[in-house]
Amino acid sequence: MLELFIYLSEMADITELIIITTLIFLIAPAFLVLYIFIYNKRKKRHIEEKQLMQLTFESELIRTQMEIREQTMQTIGADLHDNIGQLLSLASQTLGSVNLDDRDKAQQKIDSVLDLTKQSIKELRLLGKLLEGEQLIALGLPEAIRQVINWIEKSEQCIVTYTIEGEHPAQNNPDKDLILFRILQEVFNNIIKHSKANEINIKLGYIQDGIRLQVIDNGTGFDIANMPENQKGMGLSNIQKRAEIVGGRFFIQSQPGEGTCIEIFIPYP
Amino acid sequence: MLQYFTLNTSVEIICFLIAVICLHSDEKVEWKFFIVFLFITCMTEMAGVHFKKLYLADRIHNHPNIWLYNILLLFQICFFCMIFEMLLSKYFNIKPVIFGMGMLLLATHNYELYEHGIFAYNELTNTIMLVFIVLGSLYYFYLLLKGENYVELKYAYDFWWVAGILFFYFGTTTCNIFFKSLSPEKMKSIKHLTYYIYNAFNIILYGCWSYSFICRKWLTSQSLS
Repeated sequence: MLELFIYLSEMADITELIIITTLIFLIAPAFLVLYIFIYNKRKKRHIEEKQLMQLTFESELIRTQMEIREQTMQTIGADLHDNIGQLLSLASQTLGSVNLDDRDKAQQKIDSVLDLTKQSIKELRLLGKLLEGEQLIALGLPEAIRQVINWIEKSEQCIVTYTIEGEHPAQNNPDKDLILFRILQEVFNNIIKHSKANEINIKLGYIQDGIRLQVIDNGTGFDIANMPENQKGMGLSNIQKRAEIVGGRFFIQSQPGEGTCIEIFIPYP
Repeated sequence: MLQYFTLNTSVEIICFLIAVICLHSDEKVEWKFFIVFLFITCMTEMAGVHFKKLYLADRIHNHPNIWLYNILLLFQICFFCMIFEMLLSKYFNIKPVIFGMGMLLLATHNYELYEHGIFAYNELTNTIMLVFIVLGSLYYFYLLLKGENYVELKYAYDFWWVAGILFFYFGTTTCNIFFKSLSPEKMKSIKHLTYYIYNAFNIILYGCWSYSFICRKWLTSQSLS
């Protein structure tokens, strides 16, 4: 009888143990399945965010291309009107005033027209190069920047110093080149329109896994902290937004009367 | 006849019928094999009920139905190896590993039969198979989590099949550990603890599998249309 009692109490102990451990062994996979569900949901959200970012990047890239084209067309329009147009009008007027009876003066005027025509051809060639804006980027960012600098220097309003540091990576990233090129165009626009600078210093540096672009001008500068919201303009916020889209950072330093320094870091390629 | 329809066998038969409806025209042979496997399982379970009754009526002259489950174990080894090979081969070449595991299980099965005959349960084989199944299921989940693609888990038939088998084999670990202490030979009443535990886990297992078959049927018919 006693043995039966011991046996039954042992069985009761085992029963309790089995119930508890079975519950633990049931809860463990239940939690695992629940965790997989939660993780999977997060994965879905992450994929959706990635897709959205890709879409934003692509649309920004298209907008950048459009803006570069628009900027080029504006420059060409202004140049045709202000420069080549003036040269050709002058040539036409000079030719119109040629008196064939006065051979010496006529010769002088024809020579002057020849000079004007040659200058116009030179200007047209420069315009042609600018028109190849997108192909310029295909040649590489340093070359594209050089062409824009040539154009700025032509106006003889300011002296531009351009230095390239570090080695160009073996692989290009045309999308990032395009965005950086557009940022630089925006920076130049700001300098020309607002800063009244006569010296611009550009440094393009290829650092480890990235590009650093630094633009310093000796213009009027401005107080960033106390700048009214409506005067911040689309320029700076656009530069910042574009730098962030390619995973980069944008820094600006400026004080009234002390010029402006802009630095952009972008992971590359 | 009704005596053969216990809660356990009823759940299995329902799952078998769902498998027949959903998988009879499946293009993958492995999934069609579910019908065969579930048929064998149902037959074994019903025969098991019959032999259990004989044993309870005369414990001296009859053996418990354990020998039937030893035979079923052979089918389970082959079938689970085939399914895990199908599930994991999507990610990498798992064939050699599955083949090795299958061989080890068959060798253990034969050794146990040689050791104690067919009337004692091949506990070691079952335990090793349980470990392999749990490892295989966890590894499948790991690969699922690691994968970059998003999977709609609500309708992922693979996932529900693995979830079912993991619940069952992981959940019944305790019963397997205490198998000897809780065997019918030692228990006065047949309605012992393991009966309820196995019933509960069987409902979870065949519930998950049935849902998995429905998902498979739904998804394959959708992709065809």
